[in-house]
Amino acid sequence: MPMKDICRDLTASAMPPVRVRLTCALVDRPGTLLRTLEQIALAGGNIISIVHSRESITSGYVPVSINVEFPDAQSLERARRGIESVGVPVIGAESLEKSLRTVIVLGSGELGDLIRAVEGLGLKIVDASVRGGGSELTARLTLEVPEGAAGHDLMRRLEEVAADRGYLLLSEV
Amino acid sequence: MSLRALVNGYGFLGRRVARALASGKVPGVKLVAVARSTGYIHRPGGLTLEELEGDIASLEGFVEGSPISLLEDGKVDLLIELTPTNLPTGEPALTHIKTALSRGIDVVTANKAPIALAYRELTELSRSTGALLLFEGTVGGGIPLVSLRRFCLRGDEVLSIRGILNGTTNYILSRMHFEGLTFELALREAQNLGIAERDPTLDIEGYDTALKLLILANSVMGLNRRLEDVRITGISRVTADAVSLAKEAGLAVKLIGSVSPDGHLTVAPRLVKLNDPICVHGTLNAVTFRLRTAGDLTLIGEGAGEPTVTSILNDVWEVVTVRGRLTGARGT
Repeated sequence: MPMKDICRDLTASAMPPVRVRLTCALVDRPGTLLRTLEQIALAGGNIISIVHSRESITSGYVPVSINVEFPDAQSLERARRGIESVGVPVIGAESLEKSLRTVIVLGSGELGDLIRAVEGLGLKIVDASVRGGGSELTARLTLEVPEGAAGHDLMRRLEEVAADRGYLLLSEV
Repeated sequence: MSLRALVNGYGFLGRRVARALASGKVPGVKLVAVARSTGYIHRPGGLTLEELEGDIASLEGFVEGSPISLLEDGKVDLLIELTPTNLPTGEPALTHIKTALSRGIDVVTANKAPIALAYRELTELSRSTGALLLFEGTVGGGIPLVSLRRFCLRGDEVLSIRGILNGTTNYILSRMHFEGLTFELALREAQNLGIAERDPTLDIEGYDTALKLLILANSVMGLNRRLEDVRITGISRVTADAVSLAKEAGLAVKLIGSVSPDGHLTVAPRLVKLNDPICVHGTLNAVTFRLRTAGDLTLIGEGAGEPTVTSILNDVWEVVTVRGRLTGARGT
């Protein structure tokens, strides 16, 4: 194998895998799901789980969420094109990767109220440290946040929730 | 023939710039007038260093009132506007700059307010009359940001900006970080050292950072934003506990101005990793431009005081160069 190709292979193998939740709109007809899964397998995707929401059928379409690990972003793109080529629209591709983000919250209020507000957004608190007494609260929270646009959106909503309650929220740049 | 310059504003920066020009630091420029709040002195033959030694109000020929007639009567070719920042109007600097530009007189300024509040209007006026409007001294002191974009990054695109643009708040937060001081103590210390104003509102409530961010967003990223578009949160609510909790997690609290890729302008205290290049301390400023091709580019330097003179004089050099009146000497 020429050196150029070996280098390309090494680079490819060094790329991190991509874990995503693909949401597809399947026609409620036998064989459609199988054709979709074939395209994922052909692109090198490893299926982790499938949620087939037959009770959510709308206008003859059933939304199906498929959690998949792809070797790289190009494989994900190949799968998306393959699925659409067999007539199945891909209506969402949300990253399953999570990262830890630190926030510090200051204000007068109860810790319980703050935690409920954070968790109400679907954010998981993995660590918390609190200072101050009386009504003045200073808390450092480590949150598990989805990567990408979804995580960005959640952090923006967290800022709004904190502001609504009169808290000052310090987030990471 | 040399460009006839008026230095308007005779405070910390005005004195230094006037002395630099009177001593011939920029060839092709003759300092013919200097103005302070109470009046001005006009010497068509040029002011000397000796005349600038004492109070200009005691010089023979000192005229009480505004120097705007020098602009209206075409007695100067270059206005160096260094009066203090005034919110919310930007006056009297805004009127001085408009008067100059509308008559084709070039302008160099370090006054943030007119550029932040009326950027679009002033640049359109400048374009229509062909007068230059240069304002490197308004942001980041001696750090070249606006001219860096103009001269060195023309082949790239600035996608976002973030940085520490105010030395006073950075000093306060640094003292809280390293010495465990409360906000109130750190502020008082900064005031005693002359780093913070007696009324520190503009700095600590984030308005100074917002003005600078607005200038960068409009000039460096080509946006069309106004002060009311900036979400501003100051540092007065930041407690010693918050700074200490951040420090334990390898973070520092910094007042960050940012322009996001989707064009949102925000000024707020944020958590910055200690190994982030913009995590500078004391009165330093740091700015990161995220570029489409070149990636992140971070510049660090003193954001106020004497280094600002460097930016102002460089802008004056630029005017001289563009006007083609460089008289032989070259910059180093």
